[in-house]
Amino acid sequence: MTWLVWRQHRVQVYLGAALLAAFAILIVITGIQVGNQYHAAQAACAAGHGCRQLGGLFLGSHAVGFLIISTLGAPALVGLFVGAPMVAAEAEAGTTQFAWMQSVTRKRWLTVKIGWMLLAAAIWGGVISALVTWWEGPNNAVQLDAFDPGRFDIMGVVPVAYSLFAVALGIAAGALLRRVLPAIAVTLAGFIAVRASIALWLRPHYLSPVTAFYKVTTGLTPPGSYWQIAQGVLGPSGQQLAQPNNINYVNGVPATYLPASCVQVSRGAFTPPPSCMQALSHFRAFITYQPADRYWTFQGIESGIFLVLAAALIAVTAVTLLRRDA
Amino acid sequence: MNPIQEAPGRALPGPAAIETSGLTKRYGKVTALSGCTVSVPEGRICALIGPNGAGKTTLLRLLAGLSRPTAGQVTVNGTTPRQDPAFLADIGYLAQEIPLYRRLSAEDHVRAGAHLNPRWDAESVRERLTALKIPLDRAVGKLSGGQRAQVALALILAKQPRLLLLDEPVAALDPLARRNFLGLLADGVAAGGLTVVLSSHLVADLERVCDHLIMLASSRVQLCGDIEDLLAEHQLLIGPSKDTTAIERSQRVVQVTRTPRQTTLLVRLNGPVIDPAFQASDVSLEELVLGYMGQDAPPAPAHLNTVGEKK
Repeated sequence: MTWLVWRQHRVQVYLGAALLAAFAILIVITGIQVGNQYHAAQAACAAGHGCRQLGGLFLGSHAVGFLIISTLGAPALVGLFVGAPMVAAEAEAGTTQFAWMQSVTRKRWLTVKIGWMLLAAAIWGGVISALVTWWEGPNNAVQLDAFDPGRFDIMGVVPVAYSLFAVALGIAAGALLRRVLPAIAVTLAGFIAVRASIALWLRPHYLSPVTAFYKVTTGLTPPGSYWQIAQGVLGPSGQQLAQPNNINYVNGVPATYLPASCVQVSRGAFTPPPSCMQALSHFRAFITYQPADRYWTFQGIESGIFLVLAAALIAVTAVTLLRRDA
Repeated sequence: MNPIQEAPGRALPGPAAIETSGLTKRYGKVTALSGCTVSVPEGRICALIGPNGAGKTTLLRLLAGLSRPTAGQVTVNGTTPRQDPAFLADIGYLAQEIPLYRRLSAEDHVRAGAHLNPRWDAESVRERLTALKIPLDRAVGKLSGGQRAQVALALILAKQPRLLLLDEPVAALDPLARRNFLGLLADGVAAGGLTVVLSSHLVADLERVCDHLIMLASSRVQLCGDIEDLLAEHQLLIGPSKDTTAIERSQRVVQVTRTPRQTTLLVRLNGPVIDPAFQASDVSLEELVLGYMGQDAPPAPAHLNTVGEKK
């Protein structure tokens, strides 16, 4: 069975390997540059000048940065071009009737095929994620944003789980629809819908977020790459203040709530006078966030969800193909 | 030593390669096969004849285990068709669409078969395709339809099954290739251990090699048996155009064809025909099959002066 799977899909394997190799070369070369930039910036910081800039520094070129962000879509590719055609293309061409009339049960055919497809998907997601995670290391250290939506999704172990889910979704769609193009369309739509809804609505609640209150005059930044979910300012009576875009703020407090002494009149450095500080001391701020040390817990929970979904889709495929007439 | 040995082949019906009873397959509201009870002894070459849409493919797929019956029983090589390597190894099923991987070559298929089957005669395929001047290394999708059919047939024979189920296998072949292929099947059956079912909507395709017949029309079995017996059981009665009720009382009339001058009756004999006005003659396989198909065919236009009468 493995021989046939290899013979059928070797072009896809070569193509996928070539893409991965090209990506790896680009990432390794630019990643070394990023590392050098980072160490240079660190050295400059240690020498005592230019340290302020480090926080805003974007390491690496924007073109590669864009490529890195676009690896958000990489798991979908394996679902569209490997998963969806697996059953659908054979059903469309009628070749299941060739494979299933050899001395191989449908169960074995399915097990071997799905096994190799899952392995391929895991390698695809794993290699891309490993390269991206390594490349982004310095950026994460500087910008402390590895936990943020969009960056959490392209690093660590979740891309492997997404890839496994995508390929399982493609296989199931192909088995149910038996047509390649509809299966590809359903896979794409399904992948985006599931990924987006879990990232937007489920992920923030894997563990109850932490809320910290602080005085606006002191400020508070949680340590490390935390994930900020909400923040706001509370007025003297404890009510949360609206934060429209088009007004001035002093330490996060809308200037409309503050005496005139808080408003900066001239350009340049501004130190609020004591009367302003007095007014500000009545305001409190809060930040709701997932602490940085939960990063790997969240990676694990998110991966677990997608692995369970992938397993369910494979069960659907098996029931569809083994129970239904060929 | 036992001096009396059974003649091989058709003297006594051996164990059945195929046995079905009340086999029914419905797809939603459409009944593709209804109450099909047939039996094919081992070692026969069985023609599965019927008009388009009669249920031939449905029956073959049920026998191959590719689909499951809605009702009824089916036994193939002594077991119910099932997902089991041993069962599958004994079945060679070739679908009408000739399913092959279009981008793979014949040689790839030969190697795949070697990996997927316990018995596999790879050399026979190579020899056969080389003799037919079909390139082994070209993608199957680039071969002609007839060449593809030859590849598929060679592959199915390489599997060395005990039962071959071929859906319209000769449709894509030219007359010479057709004759060669049917000859090959006959040799395989003569060598022993092989039973063949071939479907077609044309009797002429299969008449030369088949010794058993299953006839389907409108999802039902019309005839099933050894061709020799079936021909012996039926006769054509030709006589003046007159009342045929006497004959209809004693014989089972399959088809009546009337012209102003004479009446032709296809009858299944229950006993000797004693009406001297009618002349009895043997029936050919084609006449027999057309007679049974005519049972469900609409009447011919009246101006042709022939009436295919429903019994």
